[in-house]
Amino acid sequence: MNDDDLITLVREQRGSVEMTTPVDQIIGRGRTLRARRRLPGVAAGALAVAAAAVLAVTALLPAGHQAGRPLPAQLTAWTVTRHADGTITVTVRQLRDPQGLQRTLRADGVPASVTFFGHEPRACQRYPRMSAALMAEVFGGHGPPLVIHPKALPHGVGVQLNPMHHPHGAPIALAAGLVQASPGCTGP
Amino acid sequence: MGANRPDFAEFYRRSKDECLFTVLLSVGDRDTAQELLAEAFARAWASWRTVSRHPAPAAWVVRTALNAHVSRWRRHRREVPLADPGAIADRPTAGEAFDSPVDPRIMAALLRLPERQRQVVALRLFLDLDTARTAAALGIAPGTVQAHLGRAIAALRADLMPERQKEIPS
Repeated sequence: MNDDDLITLVREQRGSVEMTTPVDQIIGRGRTLRARRRLPGVAAGALAVAAAAVLAVTALLPAGHQAGRPLPAQLTAWTVTRHADGTITVTVRQLRDPQGLQRTLRADGVPASVTFFGHEPRACQRYPRMSAALMAEVFGGHGPPLVIHPKALPHGVGVQLNPMHHPHGAPIALAAGLVQASPGCTGP
Repeated sequence: MGANRPDFAEFYRRSKDECLFTVLLSVGDRDTAQELLAEAFARAWASWRTVSRHPAPAAWVVRTALNAHVSRWRRHRREVPLADPGAIADRPTAGEAFDSPVDPRIMAALLRLPERQRQVVALRLFLDLDTARTAAALGIAPGTVQAHLGRAIAALRADLMPERQKEIPS
């Protein structure tokens, strides 16, 4: 097999997926976007929200452990700590046992979906009213560790945790977002 | 500009699958890739007068989709760094990470390429851009495009045909 054969082999992969969105749907959305562009106030508002929502990460694990609380004797892949004020601290050291972390969070009253590898469950739908303000209320400071304020979750909203990958492929961060709670996503 | 924009419909029909595969390579999830790409195509329609004159409209769409992906991460996710990214257990093969009928060996080999090489492969081989347009899209020199493509093909060859490598006398 020469380079041309190899290139042909690789190129054949692009035919293995099909974009199924109908062109009419694309055009309908395009019309909406074009109409919105004529409303400068809307565009400016969207930019302001985007700018305010950029989240900075400033520290490295495990320095964020709660003061006054003993460190675990043995470093496990992750630790979930429920505090007296109702907040929950999640410290993830290794991407192991996502199901266990998911069960623990749910047992602590957080509708949660945790995926470390592969797909997010198809049942998981992003919470459409996501905003920087709501993110700040639910997830508090900028961590680490990740802090969850369950009381700030709107009714019918859950937490989704999955890894954020470096462009080169290695997971470098745990990403937390909000999803619509449902049995197939965040549990019963 | 006509309301029907038949040239856009033809452009969409002709390029959507290649664009989807290219975005899928970067974001790793088919549903997300399709969602991002649908929005990018809609933006292309809304600005079709400009985009249709772009030297590589498909590259414009892909780039728009990937930029939206980065923005979405920043806007919708709270990121907390992992303590030890190297200590990862049970990492699946690329085939498990993709819900699509792609060849898992080839996809894994593509994903193992450094980002810039993967971008060059995507634009040159999947979107069929020539060297000059690939260079313009990535903001790098044409010679750098060729160098990245050469290294990528060598890496793919080593990854996909290691046994043949051994057959070649040194």
